[in-house]
Amino acid sequence: MKVSRFRAALTAAVVIVLAGCQGGTTGSSSSGGGGSGKLTIAAVQGVEDAGLKALKPMYKQAKGVDLDIVESPYDDLYTKLVNSFKANDATYDLVMMDDPWMPKFGTDNSLVELGALGISKDPDIAQVVWDVGTWPPPRGAVPPSEKSKTPGLYGVTIVGNVEMFMYRKDLTPTAPASYDDVLANAKAQNNGGVAGYLIRGKATNPVVADFLPILWSFGGDVFDENWNVVFDNQQSVAAINYLLVDLKGTAQPDPANADAADRDRLMAAGQGYQSSVWPGEVNTAVLGEGTTVKDKVAFIPIPKGPGGKGVGMMGNWMLGIPKASKNQQAAADFIKWMLQADTQKSYAQNNGIPSRTSVLKDSSLAAANPYFPVLADALQAPPNWRPRTDQWNAVEKILGTHLNAGLAGQETPQDVATKAAAEVRTLMKGAGYPTQ
Amino acid sequence: MSVEDLTANTGGLAFGARLRTTWSARSGQERLGLRLLLPVFGLVVVIATIPFILAVYTALTSDSGELVGLRNFERALANPRLVEAFKETLIYAAIVLPTEILLGLGLALLVHRTVRSVAIRALIYVAAMIPIVIPQVAVGVVFRLVYASDYGVLNLVLGKSGHDQILWLSVPSLAMFSVATVDIWQWTPFVYLIMFAGLQTVSQESVEAAQVDGASSWAQFRHIELNYLRPLLLLVLFFRIADVLRVFDHVYVLTGGGPGATTQFLSLYLYDVAFKFSDLGQASALAVVVMAAMTFFYTVISRFLPAERR
Repeated sequence: MKVSRFRAALTAAVVIVLAGCQGGTTGSSSSGGGGSGKLTIAAVQGVEDAGLKALKPMYKQAKGVDLDIVESPYDDLYTKLVNSFKANDATYDLVMMDDPWMPKFGTDNSLVELGALGISKDPDIAQVVWDVGTWPPPRGAVPPSEKSKTPGLYGVTIVGNVEMFMYRKDLTPTAPASYDDVLANAKAQNNGGVAGYLIRGKATNPVVADFLPILWSFGGDVFDENWNVVFDNQQSVAAINYLLVDLKGTAQPDPANADAADRDRLMAAGQGYQSSVWPGEVNTAVLGEGTTVKDKVAFIPIPKGPGGKGVGMMGNWMLGIPKASKNQQAAADFIKWMLQADTQKSYAQNNGIPSRTSVLKDSSLAAANPYFPVLADALQAPPNWRPRTDQWNAVEKILGTHLNAGLAGQETPQDVATKAAAEVRTLMKGAGYPTQ
Repeated sequence: MSVEDLTANTGGLAFGARLRTTWSARSGQERLGLRLLLPVFGLVVVIATIPFILAVYTALTSDSGELVGLRNFERALANPRLVEAFKETLIYAAIVLPTEILLGLGLALLVHRTVRSVAIRALIYVAAMIPIVIPQVAVGVVFRLVYASDYGVLNLVLGKSGHDQILWLSVPSLAMFSVATVDIWQWTPFVYLIMFAGLQTVSQESVEAAQVDGASSWAQFRHIELNYLRPLLLLVLFFRIADVLRVFDHVYVLTGGGPGATTQFLSLYLYDVAFKFSDLGQASALAVVVMAAMTFFYTVISRFLPAERR
């Protein structure tokens, strides 16, 4: 007991020190989550919380509750939440979470089960949207330490993000049906002014996000159902070869240092033929102000791989309620209000990305959001989520470092597969997984 | 509360008595000096000692607070990424430290020997201050505009002159060169300022006497000026090694540690382990190891400082 009290005090001290060190945070500060009539939301800075900010005055008018949206850049937000949860800090009533963070927060029991607060599944929202907010995951591999837990809903999607595919429909009217078509089109369209394929290849998260749909569509994966590493099996190596040799041969000059902003800039400038894309990038970057490709880009689900299946990747942003929040019911009421069809429509009209199928298929929204119907289909497909383990960030670092080294010419595709698989095996065994 | 009161509760009577004797043997001036130092000692305890104790404690415990002995140290040291990060940091240090010191020293000698105008010296002083005071993140963003392959200034110039694009941030050797040049640009002026200040303390009589005896410029430097500058050079080395170990912002902005792990320096690696992987145990173990290594290293270096500066 003494040790745990000491540790709690230590954690609180560390959080205070870290909070003092946090930079780049905007938004008003919170006086704590205790007061009624106000909910403090930890949000990610960027297009992902644009719709949430637009709802703030509407919620004040409808329910008389102030939303205090405290924004942080992506990396800062994760660190802030981890520290806040460890210290049992009651500052936030609601937190925005990227879906790969769910295993960490679920394993640490940091969040409130939302079903107990009256949030129930709605058939107008794709099943996968509920599944991704459920911990332990209802399908796929479950971390050994979590197998005994009863699945519960801990996060509700507020940004229905599924990675899609975009191509220049003015150059080739027919959509690529498979990755064979993608490569054939890339070779045909690649010339001095236009890259046949835009690779988002910057180290770590960017290149992994670009690659996982290819890996899955080729029948490869990082883990199998029992946490065995399969990143070096035949299908995975074929997918790695496809990215590092085939697509790279038609890509922009500097794929190893390109992030989403670079890809979108090149696409908007008419210097790219096709690439993967996240919904959040479409209206703000690819088709945003100054674009030269308005009405020239089509959005489709991820093309099919050799096995005849195309697999998109989820990158949903969810809202969860910290266990330490003193306004749990009020926070749950906000989530319920936000999921209503009319709120979701207003949210979509203000640059939010809804998850409700009827809203995504609403024809009055399609002109401004040409990707909405595709997103609705992509959510029904369903897409894959990244492996549900609290070790994912470390795994992603290993994969992303080697894939990036492959794009930079430091490693062959076989090296990438072998080295990354060996490092991931060591990592997972060290973390107590039955990995082989 | 007086120091006597503080010592009364230590439990160690002999120690307390010895401290009281030492305290009473000091003059009033010395006692005042020690009392005035107390706030500073307090600050050091809060910002250095307590975090260090926290780090050691965290390094010895698991996430759930159980004592795990040296397991976190074992995991930290067995990770191949650590060796890689250490190697890249050494390469980076081997590029930037000699370059900055030689350039800064050369510039200081040049200005000291050739520029007599006070106004021009002041102008150079201000120009040298500018890179030092710019936040490193901003420096990273600016240099991204220089090195970016498709819209960077360097490649635009190369393109205009009929040359091919160079992938400054994606070819491993060039990426290391690119991030190193940013460091050199920002911190050579720091070396210059310290060396220039050191050169102002050189005895003019000695220099003039050497010149009368026909000593060459190199001989003047080697036998007179270098003696004055040696402790300052060690001081610069002290600061710059610490800075190199902490280098983060501009590398993060420019390459994010890539391509591959080419610019994945110790600080970036530590950041990943602590904040991206949330493995505070391993990160704390690494921090303790790095701190121990640096303490040893600085102890060795300080042997070369003149006795009065130790």
